[in-house]
Amino acid sequence: MSESRGPIGFVVGGSLKDNLKVRLTVPPDRVQEGAFVVIESGFWLFYGLVTDLRLSAVDDRYAEGLPAGRLPDQLENIIREETLSVDLEVLPALMLERGPDPGSDEYHDWKREQDAKSSPQRARPVKTVPLHHAPVRAASSGDIEEIFGQDKKGYFVLGNTREQGHPVRINLAKFIQRSSGIFGATGTGKSFLTRMVLAGLIHFNAASVLVFDMHNEYGFDDTASDTGQRVIGLKTKFPGRVRVVGLGRGAQIRGQSPDFNLEIPLSALQPADIMLLSRELNLRETTPATLDALVKTFGRDDWFREFRDLQVGTLIDNGEGKMIPAPGSVAHWANANGVNIMAAEALHSKLRRVFGKNYLVENPAADGIREIVNLLEGGQHVILSFGKYESDLDYLLVSNLLTRTIRRRWEKLTNDFRSSGKEEPQPLVLVVEEAHKLLNREMAAQTTFSRIARELRKYYVTLLIVDQRPSQIYDEVMSQLGTRISGWLGDEEDIRAVLSGLAGRQALRGMLSRLQPKEEVLLLGWGVPMPLPIRSRRYNEDFWKELIGDQMRVDDQSAEDSIKELGF
Amino acid sequence: MKSFIQIGRLLRAGVRGFVAGCTVDRIDLPRFGALVRVPLAGDLEAVGLIYDIHVDDDGLVRQLAAASEVLPSTIQDAQVNRNVPLEISVLTIGHLRSGAFSPALPPRPPLSLNEIFLCTEEEISKFTGGGQYGYFRHFLHHPDLPLEDVLVAHLAQTQPIHRGSGNPDWIQGAVRELVVLLREDYQRLMGVMYSLRDLKFESIQLEVE
Repeated sequence: MSESRGPIGFVVGGSLKDNLKVRLTVPPDRVQEGAFVVIESGFWLFYGLVTDLRLSAVDDRYAEGLPAGRLPDQLENIIREETLSVDLEVLPALMLERGPDPGSDEYHDWKREQDAKSSPQRARPVKTVPLHHAPVRAASSGDIEEIFGQDKKGYFVLGNTREQGHPVRINLAKFIQRSSGIFGATGTGKSFLTRMVLAGLIHFNAASVLVFDMHNEYGFDDTASDTGQRVIGLKTKFPGRVRVVGLGRGAQIRGQSPDFNLEIPLSALQPADIMLLSRELNLRETTPATLDALVKTFGRDDWFREFRDLQVGTLIDNGEGKMIPAPGSVAHWANANGVNIMAAEALHSKLRRVFGKNYLVENPAADGIREIVNLLEGGQHVILSFGKYESDLDYLLVSNLLTRTIRRRWEKLTNDFRSSGKEEPQPLVLVVEEAHKLLNREMAAQTTFSRIARELRKYYVTLLIVDQRPSQIYDEVMSQLGTRISGWLGDEEDIRAVLSGLAGRQALRGMLSRLQPKEEVLLLGWGVPMPLPIRSRRYNEDFWKELIGDQMRVDDQSAEDSIKELGF
Repeated sequence: MKSFIQIGRLLRAGVRGFVAGCTVDRIDLPRFGALVRVPLAGDLEAVGLIYDIHVDDDGLVRQLAAASEVLPSTIQDAQVNRNVPLEISVLTIGHLRSGAFSPALPPRPPLSLNEIFLCTEEEISKFTGGGQYGYFRHFLHHPDLPLEDVLVAHLAQTQPIHRGSGNPDWIQGAVRELVVLLREDYQRLMGVMYSLRDLKFESIQLEVE
């Protein structure tokens, strides 16, 4: 769309329910689906989104084509111009009172009224329609700023409008108030977008961030799989504020040593953590009873270690020539506690995959979980890289276990803040990649994540889920997502899932499937004032320069800055 | 400046049109598609467009036509010294009051034997250029009008005047207006457009951007 602020069309019909119909008065190649337009009607500005362009004709015979060569070109052109048209479908999203003409007498009365109001005028959800023939124009940079925020602290430029290239910002404070999601088919740039959002959150200190980095992408520098170019890690740009934690002793991440390693004490494992792995380990329905018996026998802290150490299949002679389960065997324990031997032995066999995990140790060298929680409480950011442990089992087990601890801690901090007037908890965002593994319909009820998505907003903890199959995520979790940022999606079910619970989803459906496969995303949901497709920023040196300038040379930093960066 | 080229006198009239009589010696003056004006009363004048010119017979002409041999002098006498005038049918397309043109019909018809004058180029330019082509509607609503032929004649005569007065885009606007007025009726519009094509459009130099 051109930079001109002149009208591009005028309203010819429509309704709130069926969207507005706008007759285009400029060539259709100047307007694209998803364009942000402004309708000026009376004292109001209506902000809307072009959701469809339709070819119309006074009579279908004009559209089918005039007889070739029978009229001069000039006549044909005039006939075409006056009988054929392009109509826009505009989804009205917001309306803003602009008041009378500033030159009129009424304006001063109106201005006095506005000034007397306690809160300044703001765009509000659209409740009425503009008049017939109201002029429609492309949104200017001022309009974008009016709706999406100006260049000030906490407003982060996520991308630019597709036609005019005006910067579009998200309000990070609002972004972290509710859980959010970044979606898109594989190869649409979800990871880059996530890096940028995280960079914004870290740079503006909007929240602490814990990234469950299943594929070791976010901490250290990486190489792009498609372009082969260097991809800068968050640790590189925020060396003092981001801690990379490697899972397991001696873990190396991208050939570099993490800030510290996470080892999990066996005592931290709870039956719920095992139940979470039901599908992964193909556990039977007898498992809960067996786990219950184990906890009763060995206690909540020791059941896992004790069960691990039990032998399978060891027998002894009972002195009467009959072989019976030996003490210290699974069967012996099962017999003694009224548990089905086969069920207990089957569980033991299946848990061997967990027993063998090197990051589960009896006595960790340090309390890594505690350290992570402390860092997050102190406003630092943690990227938990799974290193060589890239299986779903590792991801499910560790992320859930750690999150459970965090949830408890933040609930306590919040309760202390509310009841005892202690310090307000630091907002925390948990970044969950491949979220459908943790938040699918089957697992959602069992994981801590679904509870966070549903309830922990009030405890200052929210999720940022990153996924390519949003349809696999439990509906109840999807419906709780405040901000949704979606790249191209091809699957109808995925599109439906991303749009669930949103107004105008019918109109937005096609838009999602027609985004450019790379670098175009649709902003949706409660966290953004109105849906808008944008061209996302490129994650490169320019991005970092614009965000943080050239401040990253540690030599150039003052001592005060360095201390601040360290989170003190 | 007003034209004083009188082409005839009124025979019969209504608000929407009138018929004038013209002597044979003036047969070269009225042209099919030309604009004329008829003074009504005071400073009011009706403005019309000639859409038919016809020659009625009389008893002598019938007899001569049936005769086996007629002298050339007799034929010439019958043609020049006719008792029955040529008839010019005019469609009223507006009026002129105190020098201002309007595409609205005049409040009353002209009276018999009122004089009819050809409009000057200045009057044509003012009348056809000042009203957003509002007078076109009179063409479209007249059941007996040979629409295509009248339009071709009218546009062909009027366009050069506008070109001469520095308004070369007039023809483009006129065609556009016709398309807007007739676009709901595909057959009729295409009929008109084909007629304009037959005019050989280059001759009136239709100009579009």
